[in-house]
Amino acid sequence: MTATQETTQPFRVAVFADFVCPYSFLAVEQMDRLAREYDVQPLWRPHLLHPETPPEGKMRERNAETIASDERRHAWFKEMAPEQYPRIRFPQKRQYSMLAFEALEFAYDRGLDFPYKTALYDLMWTEGADIGEHETLMTAGERIGLNPAEMKIALYERHYAERALAAVNQAREIGIMNTPTIFLGKTRINGWTYYEVMQEIMERQGMHPREAIAS
Amino acid sequence: MQMQQCYVVDSANAPWKRSASEGVSFECQVLLAGDDGGPEAMRFRFDDCPSVYAHMHLTPQFQLLLGGAMDFPRGVKHLEALAIHYTDHNMPYGPFAVSGGHDMLVLHPRAGGIISMANLEARRKINLRGRLFASLASDTEWQPLPDIESGAFKLLMPHDFGPAAVVVKVPAHAALAMPAPEFGRYEVVLEGSVIMEGQEITPPGFRYVRGDTAAAPIISGENGASVAFLTFDQNALEGGIIEGSLAVEAAEAMARAI
Repeated sequence: MTATQETTQPFRVAVFADFVCPYSFLAVEQMDRLAREYDVQPLWRPHLLHPETPPEGKMRERNAETIASDERRHAWFKEMAPEQYPRIRFPQKRQYSMLAFEALEFAYDRGLDFPYKTALYDLMWTEGADIGEHETLMTAGERIGLNPAEMKIALYERHYAERALAAVNQAREIGIMNTPTIFLGKTRINGWTYYEVMQEIMERQGMHPREAIAS
Repeated sequence: MQMQQCYVVDSANAPWKRSASEGVSFECQVLLAGDDGGPEAMRFRFDDCPSVYAHMHLTPQFQLLLGGAMDFPRGVKHLEALAIHYTDHNMPYGPFAVSGGHDMLVLHPRAGGIISMANLEARRKINLRGRLFASLASDTEWQPLPDIESGAFKLLMPHDFGPAAVVVKVPAHAALAMPAPEFGRYEVVLEGSVIMEGQEITPPGFRYVRGDTAAAPIISGENGASVAFLTFDQNALEGGIIEGSLAVEAAEAMARAI
């Protein structure tokens, strides 16, 4: 028997990132925009940037070197993300990501991982919340309509601890080194890049904005 | 057969000009203008600045950091002299900070212009396969140079990267011969002096050669020499100030800057 089976594979977009990475915060808005403008459903996956961070977090050192480094980082964000920069609150403490990854898995099982990551990044990077704290994770969940009682149990009883750890290990196994690492179809982008670069990559792979298709 | 190109530049005698671009102040020397279709080379001394704007050039580029420091908050991180920073054509970099008596050579195989990444059209022209590499000379050990007693060299880029950067240190009167520079090579004097095409050149003078036959060896002077050999690969054939609005803007922006 001969048969031709047409399969329409969805165009895959995936981002490996850590909530504590400010460059990943910039990628959140880009991915949200990509999802609005193109027929794609980006998947947000964990990449643990600082495995050594304890659950209570770690205060950043203040010395001449870190002050100079902060000044350069502020200058970078001011130029590269002029719209977001005034809202960004750089934390004084390196925060613990693993609980947030567990919360992301919880949201994934309810089809809300994509809005959940946006809510959580916003809490951390624009409202100064600590993602190592259960309250922050719960607040993000409530904002996007996750069941608070169910989420509370899942987080406190660590229902998603193994899965989050497996996801972190998987990222390491496939060689993720940068946060964010962005996959647009067949193209891998290591680190933050301009939205226009993503548009170019999408179009080179035959993906056009919904607006263009409609017209 | 390719016509041999050879330019010798004595940087010590080139005039300095004070200038500014997008709020960043500096002094510069235009060492090779590139207006004959040949290489473009400049020397910049930026005033201390926390953020030199993100930009790209339309040709590949070697930056040879001769003094001070450059800090890139993302990716490359901290460079201090002596260091190299290489980018393919249309490969953006920055913003970056400069400090500590910054002094660098900017070396292109042809006129490369400059485009601020604030330009949205330019972002669509980024070289998606573009390479970027940076390293500090102090991170690499010296190795003995075959055939020249007490000579030494260090590779500043992995040998299989494509473009190549090597620093060679030799005693007096040593002949330094290199393979044919098919895509172009800068040979920059870092210490001592060398005889190039019959001229004695001191730091940071240089020779640019390109062709499919080997250039005449350079000879170290009375006190020996240290020389950086910065060799382009086939990416030198890409990009450049050719037709299109981006090319026009890049050329105009560079002209305004220098």
